[in-house]
Amino acid sequence: MSADYIVEMKGICKRFGGIEALRNVDLELRRGEIMGIVGDNGAGKSTLMKILSGAYVADEGEIYVDGEKANIRSPLDARRLGISMIYQDLALFNNLDVTRNIFVGRELVRGPFGLFVDKKRMYARAAEVIRDLRVDIKSPKMSVARMSGGQRQMVACARAIAFQCKVLIMDEPTAALGVTEANKLLGLIRNLRDMGISILLITQRIPDVLAIADRVFVLKGGQRQDVLEVSKVTLDDVVTLIVKGKDRNGGPAPEVQYKSFG
Amino acid sequence: MPKMDLSGLRKYTVLFILLGLMAFFSLASPYFLTARNLTNIVIQNTYFIIVAVGLSFVMIGGGIDLSVGYQMSLVGVITAMAMVLYHLPLWLSVLIGLVLGTLLGLINGLIVSRIRIFPLIATLATSAVFQGISYLVSKANTFRSYPPEFLFLTRGKVLGVPFDILLTLVVVIVASLVYTETTFGYRLMAVGGNEEAARLSGINTKRMKVAIYTICGFLTALATMVMISKANTTNSSFGPGTEFIALTAAIVGGVSFMGGEGSVPALVGGVFVLAVIGNGMQLAGWGTYAQFIVRGLILLGAVAFDEYQRNLRLTQQKGR
Repeated sequence: MSADYIVEMKGICKRFGGIEALRNVDLELRRGEIMGIVGDNGAGKSTLMKILSGAYVADEGEIYVDGEKANIRSPLDARRLGISMIYQDLALFNNLDVTRNIFVGRELVRGPFGLFVDKKRMYARAAEVIRDLRVDIKSPKMSVARMSGGQRQMVACARAIAFQCKVLIMDEPTAALGVTEANKLLGLIRNLRDMGISILLITQRIPDVLAIADRVFVLKGGQRQDVLEVSKVTLDDVVTLIVKGKDRNGGPAPEVQYKSFG
Repeated sequence: MPKMDLSGLRKYTVLFILLGLMAFFSLASPYFLTARNLTNIVIQNTYFIIVAVGLSFVMIGGGIDLSVGYQMSLVGVITAMAMVLYHLPLWLSVLIGLVLGTLLGLINGLIVSRIRIFPLIATLATSAVFQGISYLVSKANTFRSYPPEFLFLTRGKVLGVPFDILLTLVVVIVASLVYTETTFGYRLMAVGGNEEAARLSGINTKRMKVAIYTICGFLTALATMVMISKANTTNSSFGPGTEFIALTAAIVGGVSFMGGEGSVPALVGGVFVLAVIGNGMQLAGWGTYAQFIVRGLILLGAVAFDEYQRNLRLTQQKGR
């Protein structure tokens, strides 16, 4: 078991009723890299990542974190292993301020049985995280409901890194953002990597991946196609792989057993 | 379109409405603004406040409990029968009532969280069940002549303050602290604001739901003790109707119908808004029936205001 990899997923299978969403997928994430996860709609990107984050449980397959076999059955299990996921719909709480958003489910507590919240420490820690991330959020008391898409992404990031987070999974973080905000966010993702966090970046925007990722993982029809070094490929290579699969030179791609509802 | 942002003022809305109403009714009736009348308003509403506080836990957690009035009916007759019919010791009778109420809340919580029935329908259904059981058990009898110690609850005074007012004060303060200082309160706000996100954050949302309905059941039972002690009599028709007042008061007091928002002081203000309207209309000679109409309109108005605030925030968010 090589400890070069912070995360290894082996032979992951997942079915939803009769639909085979993932078939025997292997994934290796290196320590401190940004890996893009790409593929067409329904390729299984989100499903694979949700299995790592504990939102889904795989039907078959094993996960190793830091070289050790991990049993991830809930988001809480994943979080204890240092794995956090930022969901596409952000999963923020519009009724709460920045600090309370950051600490939901992991409040800093005091008193017997952790009965009371330690507000002072939470607001101080939130201010610290915001400063570390160098993001434009004015106050840890700001209400999330009034924020822009980019700011909301940053709160989501802050939420992930306020705790010992070793692996951060981001689901289409730039999808709803304008050019300026998207660029800011990509810069932030690089900062996170420089802070030592390994990042899995699900995206449809291939240029984003080529701009910041070290490697790119291509899924098609629930199967792993290939993992490419970003420095050695072009946009066309990646797109071809996404569309045609890895056997493009050996005749038509094998019929994959992916059935969709539509 | 620039819209007026009232959210900063919202904290004080209830207070303004309350003061406005008091000014209005003091003009409408010379008896309104007397110490005696104002004291009466407070004393007559202690149990409404306790029920509304209980309901606020459920509503802030994103649920609703329409059955509180019928829980009161059932808890009331059982407690009264234990005291009057079976001559059980007072402490045991009260304990039976409180445990029963807590169980009724627990049942609601389990139905809503485990069987996953929409809370509005689930608690509407249990309302009917609780009421049916209440009438079956009481055989539609009325029970009176409680032990004198039980009447201490509403007749007795500690340091010159009626006991039920002290009790209510304790409930209000503890609930307020739960919301603003405890981990449970923090998480409850999160569950009410975005249940799925709360679940993904590792909060056991199902257990949370069971907990809030159970708390509501317990506080409703506590309120029942005050109610039947105050009336010094009980039958199965005591209680139903309370859910409407508690619900309306909660929404008037800024507890969001959609969950995730609310504060106890404002909630208490909401109860007094309704109380002042009821009392003022009575004194001004506008009768009981008109009060129903007014209460209905207030509920509509408060929900509309809640929606307006919510939409305002959503449009702001998209606009940027």
